[in-house]
Amino acid sequence: MDSLLSPQLLAAAMITGVLYALISLGLNLVYGTMRLLNVAHGDLVMIGAYVAFIAFSLLNIGPLVSMFGAALICGFLGWLSYKCVFQRLLSNGQLLSRLEENSLLLFFALSVIIQNLAILFFSADRRGYEYLSAIVEIGDVRLTGARLTVLIVGAVISAAVVFFLRFSLFGLAMNALIQNRDASAIVGINVDRVQMSSLIFGFGITGLAGALISMMEPISPVMGFPYTMSAFVIIILGGLGNLWGGFLAGLLLGVLEVYGVALTGPEWRSVLVYGIFVLILIFRPQGLLGSGKTAR
Amino acid sequence: MKNSLKLVLAVVLCVFLAGVAGFADEYILGIGFTIFMYIALAQSWVVLSGLTGYISLGHVVFFGSGAYVFILIWGLVPVWLGVFCSGIVVGLVSLIVGYPVLRVRGPYFVILSFGLAELVKNLVLINEARMYVSMRPVFGAPALYQLYTAMLLLAIIATGLTYWIRRSRFGAGLRSIREDEEAAETIGVPVAKLKLLAFAISGVIPAMVGAIFIMRSGIFQSGDAFTPIVSFTMVTMAIIGGSDDAPGPFLGVVFLVLLQELLWVNWPEVYMIILGILLLGFVLFIPNGIYGWLSEKYFGNKKNVT
Amino acid sequence: MLLEINDIHKKFGGLVALQGINFSVGYGETLGLMGANGAGKTTLFSLIAGHQEPTLGSIIFEGQKINRMRPDQISALGIARTYQIVRPFRGLSVLENVTTGALYGAHKIRSIKNASKFSREILEDVELKDRAEDLAGSLTLAGFKRLELAKALATGPKIILLDEVMAGLTPREVNEAISIIETCKRKYNLTVVVIEHVMKALMRMCERIVVLHHGEMIAEGTPGQISEDSVVIKAYLGEQN
Repeated sequence: MDSLLSPQLLAAAMITGVLYALISLGLNLVYGTMRLLNVAHGDLVMIGAYVAFIAFSLLNIGPLVSMFGAALICGFLGWLSYKCVFQRLLSNGQLLSRLEENSLLLFFALSVIIQNLAILFFSADRRGYEYLSAIVEIGDVRLTGARLTVLIVGAVISAAVVFFLRFSLFGLAMNALIQNRDASAIVGINVDRVQMSSLIFGFGITGLAGALISMMEPISPVMGFPYTMSAFVIIILGGLGNLWGGFLAGLLLGVLEVYGVALTGPEWRSVLVYGIFVLILIFRPQGLLGSGKTAR
Repeated sequence: MKNSLKLVLAVVLCVFLAGVAGFADEYILGIGFTIFMYIALAQSWVVLSGLTGYISLGHVVFFGSGAYVFILIWGLVPVWLGVFCSGIVVGLVSLIVGYPVLRVRGPYFVILSFGLAELVKNLVLINEARMYVSMRPVFGAPALYQLYTAMLLLAIIATGLTYWIRRSRFGAGLRSIREDEEAAETIGVPVAKLKLLAFAISGVIPAMVGAIFIMRSGIFQSGDAFTPIVSFTMVTMAIIGGSDDAPGPFLGVVFLVLLQELLWVNWPEVYMIILGILLLGFVLFIPNGIYGWLSEKYFGNKKNVT
Repeated sequence: MLLEINDIHKKFGGLVALQGINFSVGYGETLGLMGANGAGKTTLFSLIAGHQEPTLGSIIFEGQKINRMRPDQISALGIARTYQIVRPFRGLSVLENVTTGALYGAHKIRSIKNASKFSREILEDVELKDRAEDLAGSLTLAGFKRLELAKALATGPKIILLDEVMAGLTPREVNEAISIIETCKRKYNLTVVVIEHVMKALMRMCERIVVLHHGEMIAEGTPGQISEDSVVIKAYLGEQN
């Protein structure tokens, strides 16, 4: 076992953290702007991963290119689900009164549909492909090229997304919506369009993250669920709807998970993630960084 | 319909279904078994999620835990006592676990229920791996007609329980919690106590169902016993049927099990996809379920949204 | 005394919501709580009803300290409160709303049948009888306010805390509401504490008024005394007199 202070472990934690941050950002956007709790979020990771896998094995296109395709396809799914499902949910008074619960049921249904479609098309087998599998050494750290690439690309994309959300007009509108929905409409923000865009954008970056993940891990139709759970841990840790808090919490969970597994063993990985998840919900549902009111 | 007439009809139906066990073939008994299983599960789900509004997406945790307790004591106690014990053990544990869990409200509870089921599943997996067991066969289980009758009994109890709770003082308290927990507490509803009770009741029957189920499947495997598919099916059946009263899940289950019978063996994925689409459609367009919709349309009763 | 408020303080973090509140309510009395928005009136109700705990001080109901009790326990003792922002059980029928109160609260009527019978009577008192079978969510604002009252009455209280049950009503509805409250008070032998912004109503209904200002009690007296109290006038109306 590596020493806990080894840079090797730190690098692993960084990789997981960056991916988590990216994935949870998508979940947070969708929750923040619309109060929709997407339990199908991890399935978008899966879709992104399959897009990259197919592009690589059938068309010989590398994941660094196909990840944008994955983003487009997941973004399209965001648009589709908005038009078919969520526009109605968000405009129906009776359904709105229990919006979050209803959104959970709807996404639960979508998750089952997506996973089973994936099994129909790709079978339930685990798959993977070799890409940049040569070992790279940087100082004491030994990484496969793929993992190094994921770290760099993931960090760049995350930074780009954060800057985009911070400085673009769309990002500002989205932030306004997160802060105060009614006021946003009054100052002339087209709420419907921003909602649709955040669903597209949130789905898109998640698909992209999925493509990155496919470079390092085997993929399967049910691979998404743990990511859903992790993403929920993260956005709750960071405070629901708080994009920056979520980003930091993503990095934090990456560290917790990698070090936790190093201390206990790989079979404890799921228990660790779900355990943190359950404890956080019971003891600090308002998040570590938030200070809002608690459920009593 | 007069209440006494309803009761007579229900009794006749039950006696008939029980009588069927004597001469029906394996296939019919198998379908009956599945229908009763899901009726028992969906009715139990309604007690917590339909009446109290604490939507559980991880109800399989009770089913799986019951099955696990049962397999651990398999052979040590008489079969039916074992089934009973697994229900009691799971019920008692849920009284303890429920206390912190039910303090978590609204959407947080929903995702918590989801994560909790996965946590328990993984703990059981680890525990099994430590004992070097990947699956446990069940030898010498009772014959199918016995299992069928037992499941019928559970379905009757579960339906009766939901029906009774819905019309009782207890049920009135639960439904007020669903509508507004703080306002309920203000008019004297002991919310913490009632929720905990509903949680435990909602867990006992699924635990016994889980125990009987593994006698039917002949094997215990943690991955299967805790599969989210069971949770999903339960939720969908209750919501499609209508989750505010006992007749609702009944309608949902019969409809879906027949669909399952047509599709499950050859196209399980297609079945799950159809289930997903149905759930989407019902939440969006008929949120009160078949029963709520029927009673609004034909009896002018106003039913409520889950 | 039925209810005694002894030196109550309430802080939210650094913010002082109430400090040094002292007064008591006698059996059968109607006491008014007056004060601008943010004066701490609703907070005081929340403390009495058990939704929050006072930072300091004690609340005594019939000789029993109730500071640390849960809302449902307090309701069982015979204290009922209504909400300024109404909280009906929207998905249940009007009758079911009230019946729930009768089944729990201080009455704890065990059978659904008796509870509904009692609830129908209360619905008649608050003039909502015609709407008994309708979904509570379908009422108008005046209807919601009456339903709040009916739910509180159904619990069988000795004392009832009314939080702006007349806000937002038309003058005619206000008059109706006053007469409903007065009728119910007599019929069910109630003690009433009422928060109200409609001054005329407060003056008409109450025997005694307590005035809160920025969390402090600045005056206590009969409506006549209060309307002439210089401190109150200054706090309430500014310096214009």
